[in-house]
Amino acid sequence: MRASRAVVMVGGLLALATMPWWARDQYQLHLAALIGVYWILIAGLNLIVGYSGQLSIGHVGLLAIGAYAFAILTGRYEWSPWIALMASGGIGALCGLLLGLPSLRLPGFYFAMATLAFALIVTEISLAQGDLTGGGTGLSVPGFTAPFDTPGGFHALILSVAALITWLTWNVARFMWGRALIAVRDSVVTAQAVGVPVFRAKLLVFVFSGLTAGVAGALFASLQSYITPDTFVFELGLFFFVCIIIGGRGTIVGPLIGTAVLTALPEIVAPLARWSTFFYGLLLLAVVLLVPEGIGHVVEIVRARWKPRSLQSFAVTPDAARLARCLRADPER
Amino acid sequence: MLTALVTGIAAGALYAAAALVYNVMFSTSKVLSVTTGHLSMLGGVFGAWLMAGLGWPLPLALLGAVLIGAAFGIATEIIAIRRVLSRSDEHLWLLSTLALATMLQQGVALWWGTEPKPFPRLLPQDFSAGLADQKYWLPVAIALLLAVALELFYRRTLYGKLFVAMSEDAFAARARGIPTDLIRSLSFALAGAMGALAGFAAGQLTFAYFALGLTLTLNGFVALAVGGLGSNLGALVGGLLLGVIGAFATYYLGGEYQQTIAVGLLMLVLLVKPAGLFGSASIRPV
Repeated sequence: MRASRAVVMVGGLLALATMPWWARDQYQLHLAALIGVYWILIAGLNLIVGYSGQLSIGHVGLLAIGAYAFAILTGRYEWSPWIALMASGGIGALCGLLLGLPSLRLPGFYFAMATLAFALIVTEISLAQGDLTGGGTGLSVPGFTAPFDTPGGFHALILSVAALITWLTWNVARFMWGRALIAVRDSVVTAQAVGVPVFRAKLLVFVFSGLTAGVAGALFASLQSYITPDTFVFELGLFFFVCIIIGGRGTIVGPLIGTAVLTALPEIVAPLARWSTFFYGLLLLAVVLLVPEGIGHVVEIVRARWKPRSLQSFAVTPDAARLARCLRADPER
Repeated sequence: MLTALVTGIAAGALYAAAALVYNVMFSTSKVLSVTTGHLSMLGGVFGAWLMAGLGWPLPLALLGAVLIGAAFGIATEIIAIRRVLSRSDEHLWLLSTLALATMLQQGVALWWGTEPKPFPRLLPQDFSAGLADQKYWLPVAIALLLAVALELFYRRTLYGKLFVAMSEDAFAARARGIPTDLIRSLSFALAGAMGALAGFAAGQLTFAYFALGLTLTLNGFVALAVGGLGSNLGALVGGLLLGVIGAFATYYLGGEYQQTIAVGLLMLVLLVKPAGLFGSASIRPV
């Protein structure tokens, strides 16, 4: 089982890495890069939503901040894209800290509303500060330097960053911090009782998710090559959120598959594009009502239906002689 | 200056109405529904469609819009609340109502269009009335009417007392023979009707616009949290406070910082008085 999973993972990675050679057109490559960029953000968000159970619906605000930071630093101040990429990650982390400090103290619905408000505020400010962000007309974004200036090279860059981020989140998830986050999600009181620093744990992963959102924003801006405030609508934040809920909370593979499928679906099935947000809502509702554990749980249910766990019977033969000896034994002696 | 005050009070009345709608649903179900603002959006859009599109007279269109709001309220309860409340996970209702709100908003956007459309005049009045125009005082009148009617309903009628009993302790209410599921459905229907009525009355101020729902959900929630969860007086005060502060911020700083001001106010109040201005601090048994 473990070996077959490793084979699937290595095979998938190889297929993705060699995609520039076998992809039929540039558009497929662009789509794969887009999935990678979204995944960089969602991998970080997954630690917040999937592991620690804080329902942040406004991460699109952090994505916008990363994108604008990258666009302004490279376009206006002519920084090297690499330094700008790191700087956008840092700015994303800082904004995550500033957002998390007050809002992570709030209970569920309050937190969701605070993040929603944050996303709207970022849009407002990017429209209001026209001198810096270009206002409603937007900004054009320079690309990366060679060898990452071709679609194939950029694909490789995004893939390696995504792999790095996935590895980081996997490390967080499977060791002590991940367990602490799951404890916070399932019962705050219990987590506190066993000594988990609840607020600090939440804040730490929130800052990390800000960093990944900032990096994703920088890559996103470079991929789209032109950004306006309309790029970062609230529906995009909802989309990130839906990817995680549908993939299942508390796993990394589930949201990854969710991201890939949900990004590709409206692009492949063209008539769906108009209805895509409605469709996300419908999908979210169906998952919440029918399988709150995520779509992956359906596989388990079906598997259990088709192949019931084989019942093993163990014959128990009493050791009659020993039993008789015990019964006959004198308790006095 | 006076214009800022009047528009602020009018917008604040709409926020206060949304906060009241939150309260009605919260009292029986302990659910803060994301669909709250969308109820008012329904009232505005369907009001405009029935009056301007189909040419219905005012009373009939008002009735139609309110009925549609109430129907959507009941549908919310049946689809998104009932099944979810029987599970133990406390955040699922947030997801299900968010999903429903998204579907409604997108559905309306596809059907009605994404541009704000004008709302017809409700009362014959000259456009030269200035600040005494009906679009300013209608929302205020409706918000006050809703608050007073709600208070009378809670205090003077048997059904109102059932609502209050359920908000105090749903299990005890059930043990006394109150059909709690039915009461919860009724409260969502009432909330839908109230939200649609407020949206209908404020239609000339907000226009019939599909994206009104989400901003109203947020601003109504800010008004509610500032005023204190569960308090109707707090909802009114919080809504007016938010509306007036937002209008003056627009007057002095320009219109770009509406949400920033609203959330700043929310954070300030939550830091100083976490239960809100008129809320009672809840004690959580562990």
